[in-house]
Amino acid sequence: MSVVSIAAAFLLAAGLSAGSAGSSRAEQLKVELIPSSGNPAAPHTGDALAFRAVIRNDGRTPISGVIAWISLLEVDPGKEQPVDLEDWSAQRAASLPGIAPGQTAETEWRLRLIQSGSYRISVIAAAPGDAVDRNFSHVMSPFVAFTVASRPTVETGRMLPIASGVPLVIGAMLLWRSARGRGRPPVSKDAGN
Amino acid sequence: MQDAVSAGRRHGERSAPYQPLAFRGALIIAGKESGELLLSKRGLLWLLVMSLVLSGFALLLISNTELGLLENAQVVYDMVGLVTSLGALLTLVVGADAIGGEHERGSLVPLLLAPLPRSALLLGKLGGQLIAWSAMLGIALPYLWAVGSTGQNLAAGIACLIILGTPVVLTFGCLGVALGARLLSARSALTIGLVVLILAASPMILGPGLRRTAIGVAFDWVNPFSAVLNATDAVVIDSEPLLTQTVPFAIALAWMLIALWYARRSISRLTGSPQ
Repeated sequence: MSVVSIAAAFLLAAGLSAGSAGSSRAEQLKVELIPSSGNPAAPHTGDALAFRAVIRNDGRTPISGVIAWISLLEVDPGKEQPVDLEDWSAQRAASLPGIAPGQTAETEWRLRLIQSGSYRISVIAAAPGDAVDRNFSHVMSPFVAFTVASRPTVETGRMLPIASGVPLVIGAMLLWRSARGRGRPPVSKDAGN
Repeated sequence: MQDAVSAGRRHGERSAPYQPLAFRGALIIAGKESGELLLSKRGLLWLLVMSLVLSGFALLLISNTELGLLENAQVVYDMVGLVTSLGALLTLVVGADAIGGEHERGSLVPLLLAPLPRSALLLGKLGGQLIAWSAMLGIALPYLWAVGSTGQNLAAGIACLIILGTPVVLTFGCLGVALGARLLSARSALTIGLVVLILAASPMILGPGLRRTAIGVAFDWVNPFSAVLNATDAVVIDSEPLLTQTVPFAIALAWMLIALWYARRSISRLTGSPQ
């Protein structure tokens, strides 16, 4: 599990109350996750999805030191679990510069679809309280749902002709060579010397 | 015999005016070697065994119906390693036979007395290996396509196999030639060469944990096989550009040049007298 995932789990476990306490600076943030228009309508394993996270400061004071990361949840019945993003995305987290009141900051996230299933993705933004109070609180975007269809990677129908055909062709050449060799009179080893 | 040896040395010393002749001689030897490898019963049997190994590996994959995308890339990675090791084995055997086998069959002295520089003789022997390796690649391509075409970075994986695998394969071919020339015995050369090959190819069977130890990392740094595997891992699984793999390529190339120098030096020490 990556450091960011551990941090996310910790924040989700301990920080939900902080996020809704009403006194945190993160509460000034509004986070939205927008799928790219170029994303495939019916993604398969091997495809890539892109998302744009828009983080807006709705408060009256600037916020600096915002950290954003994505969280992926598998929701297939019986398989409900957070997904380790190590193989899915090279991006771990984004540190954003200060966001002035009313301003927005954007981050792009690319996801390589590794495994089939139903997923929910969201982006989380965390901000420190202030210079003295370094307790982070966070806000989370609404989930975006997507389903990944499996794409057979090793197809029996494709493999069998190759696995049987190539040795058969070479074996046939070998038999032909043997039959041709038998038809010839034996040649003395020293004939060429 | 001494005259013959001197004659052989004189031929070895001739250079500029005889280069076209030497090159033609190297081509003839390469053609003869590759013809023996690809068209003879022995050579075809070799290729049949190689294809059966690849088929066995491929059929094992069919039994796994839950391969994800990452596994698909993993399969291409594994197959690149397998083809490289089979190619290295092929050229090692052929290389050990090139001089050691000729000596055992009694055909080395006539070969050394041929009006050819030693470097042309080596070039011809290596040319035969290169053609055999090309045939091996030709056999491997359909398998790679079958396991990897629905996944990612198959073309890059094949490029890795050709660009990085070829120096590694020729390294073992040169090693076989050098050992055969030093020991004048194909069997002894093959025994030593196989031990070196097993040691070099050990990263294929060692787990990542062992390779991350200090000794494992150091071994990876100098091992040409590891260079191929690490570059294939980076290119096929992690989707890194092939052009960033200059260090693994430099390692593989350096080993090939060292082995080539060793083979050339070993062949140049040969005399026409029977030992």
